[in-house]
Amino acid sequence: MRRLAGFNIAVALLPISVLAQATVEGRVGLPKSHSAPVVAKRYEIVTRGNVLSTQPPLAVVYLDGSFPKPSSNPTKQIAQKDLTFIPALLPVRVGTKVEFPNLDDTFHSIFSYSPAKRFDLGRYRPEERPIPAQIFDKPGLVTLRCDIHEHMRGLILVLNTPYFLMTDTNGHFRLDGLLAGHYTLKAWIDSRTTREKPVELKSGQTLHVDFP
Amino acid sequence: MSSAIQARDKGVASFRTRLFTAMMVIIATLTAFGLYLAQRKVTADAERNLQQIFQAELSSLHKLEELRHVALADRCNALALKPRIHAALEDNALDLLYPSAKDELRDLMEGGEASSDQATPSLHAKFYRFLDGAGAVLSPPNPKDVGELDPRTEAELGLQKLPEAQQIGYIQENSDAADEIVDQVVAVPIFSTETGDVISALIVGFRPIELTGKGAGAGMKNGIWINGQLYLPLLSKSAQAALGREIAKALSNSASAQNNFTVTVNAAPHLLFYKRLNPDSLFPPAYEICVYPLASAMAQLHRIRWQIGGAGALLLLGGFVGSHLVALRFSAPVRKLALDSEENRAQRKRAEAALASTAEELRRSTRYSADASHQLKSPVTVLRAGLESLLAREGFKPEVYEELSALLHQTHRLSGVIDDLLLLSRMDAGHLELESQQVNLSQIIEEWLDDLGALPDSPDVKIEREFPAGLFVAGEKRYTSLVVQNLLENARKYNRPGGRIRVSAHSNVRDVVLTIGNTGRTIPPGENIFERFHHSSTPSAASGHGIGLNLARELARLHGGDLCLVRSENDWTEIEVRLPAANGVSTVA
Repeated sequence: MRRLAGFNIAVALLPISVLAQATVEGRVGLPKSHSAPVVAKRYEIVTRGNVLSTQPPLAVVYLDGSFPKPSSNPTKQIAQKDLTFIPALLPVRVGTKVEFPNLDDTFHSIFSYSPAKRFDLGRYRPEERPIPAQIFDKPGLVTLRCDIHEHMRGLILVLNTPYFLMTDTNGHFRLDGLLAGHYTLKAWIDSRTTREKPVELKSGQTLHVDFP
Repeated sequence: MSSAIQARDKGVASFRTRLFTAMMVIIATLTAFGLYLAQRKVTADAERNLQQIFQAELSSLHKLEELRHVALADRCNALALKPRIHAALEDNALDLLYPSAKDELRDLMEGGEASSDQATPSLHAKFYRFLDGAGAVLSPPNPKDVGELDPRTEAELGLQKLPEAQQIGYIQENSDAADEIVDQVVAVPIFSTETGDVISALIVGFRPIELTGKGAGAGMKNGIWINGQLYLPLLSKSAQAALGREIAKALSNSASAQNNFTVTVNAAPHLLFYKRLNPDSLFPPAYEICVYPLASAMAQLHRIRWQIGGAGALLLLGGFVGSHLVALRFSAPVRKLALDSEENRAQRKRAEAALASTAEELRRSTRYSADASHQLKSPVTVLRAGLESLLAREGFKPEVYEELSALLHQTHRLSGVIDDLLLLSRMDAGHLELESQQVNLSQIIEEWLDDLGALPDSPDVKIEREFPAGLFVAGEKRYTSLVVQNLLENARKYNRPGGRIRVSAHSNVRDVVLTIGNTGRTIPPGENIFERFHHSSTPSAASGHGIGLNLARELARLHGGDLCLVRSENDWTEIEVRLPAANGVSTVA
């Protein structure tokens, strides 16, 4: 009964929410990639003039505003495989727990000095259990490094919103399932560049926003 | 005479003095030149030696610096490879920079365990700091771990920008005003391993490098001159300040990075070397300063000065003796000359005196003969007048008349002599003046020859005439006649019985030459018959009063002619008179 009631509520709410859905789509102007297009869906973090970005360039588009806190915190993973972070860039909502499994045959020592989250997991082997993890409870960019492999870089973009995604390599994005209202649409391009535009979302409408 | 000797000695002495002075000047000049050269050489040697020591010191310093640099470069390369350093610098976590670098740089710092490692203390740092991207010093969260510095000193470590290469600087620590410490700091850039950019710099401070001063002897002082201030702990503050000003002046005058000059430190001469320790550095310019006492060089100089001075003095002494000898030697001929000239002068004086007395005698005799003639003439006239009156009286015996006549003759002769003397004295006195006119010499000769034949005691001589009539001479008839008379009378007087007289005359263009020769006793050679009051050395019956020839000659000369003895040999004596011919007249008639 209780289960039924819950289902009913869900059914009852569904049309409303479906009706209230709004969508934003568009394109983010990405910097030209100097390297050849990557076939595999892999990218890495590069530093150019103390600015971290992905290679090939990607953007994270997110809708900034005030949203109710989630009842439960999701768990995400960034693995270390072949002496790289996979994925190299991970956007997460505040409060997300990120696990750092070591999939290599060697030690890794993941740490971050970033103001958004400072942590030091210390050296650990692949078989380390539980999997070393951190909860990111402060919005901001967190740079992941390995104390043993100095070339390794990973980024966690901690966001104060549940609505975010990564563009494709051409910069196209589509965010749907949004609620009508006034927001700021932001596009994180690199560690120093975040573009933003105020948007007014209306139910059932698809707003087209391009970032130059 | 003694004054003359004194004068001579004085001359010799002054000559010697001059010689000695000249030698002294030369020796003094040589000595001074020698001193100058020696001084220059000693100074240059000392300078070169000290320069070598200074360079050796500096090279040891540079070796140490290189060691430090290599060690630091390694350290910084290692640091740059540290992800935590990168993270701290790149992820805006500078507070974690020092903790992250602590382990890496632990052995760099002078720690408890470093004290045991005394062999290379200078490789241990006193402090280190990081610079941020703009070149400013990042303050350490826990200064104890990285070497404590006062804030002002720490601020001085900052640079205008991050260095591309290692930079050397010298910083004065103001930890304690009484005890200034100068540290060598090395700034090493930290390059990003990914981009190659300079992301930071590590500044490491070392203890100041102590120059040992080995080989320079005691008293060598070294220090560092930074930004207008000298740090030379061995000197007093005031001496440092004074020396610092001198160095600042030298540096402002010279652009060269190293040089040396002489300074006075604590009233003693020192040689000061300086060399830029950090050329082309972003840090303020710093110079290594080494002050070497020139005491040993000065002592050597002193010794050499004495030696040369002594040699000069010896030379001078030798020169003195030598000049004395040389002066003696040189002065000998001078002395002789002086002596000779002295004698010459005396002789001249004597001759002058003799001449004067002779002239006086002559003058006296002239006056005497003039006086005498006048005084004698009147008595003779009186005598003659008396004799004549007696002769004119009658009643004496014939012998008396003869006697009177002879006496009268003698008075004539006497008055003739007196006349001659009078004439001579007038000539001697230069009072006789001729009234020159044409005189017919031929006629005068004729007249006198006639008179000669008429003379009562004329011996039996044959007279030869060899002269044309109408020979005219220029002169006064009275005196021309006197000349002819005297000569003819002599020719008769000194003739021998049965002898002859030859009178010849001719005229050339200028003169009329009259030659009178006679037989009889010849005149011995060397006998001056023209001497006044001359008497023949050989006794003879004939004798005169010794004036005639002299008078004749004087008269002939007065006329502009002459009279001389042509020959007197083989019973023949010939006298020649030359008288000036009357112009254009002698050929006429």
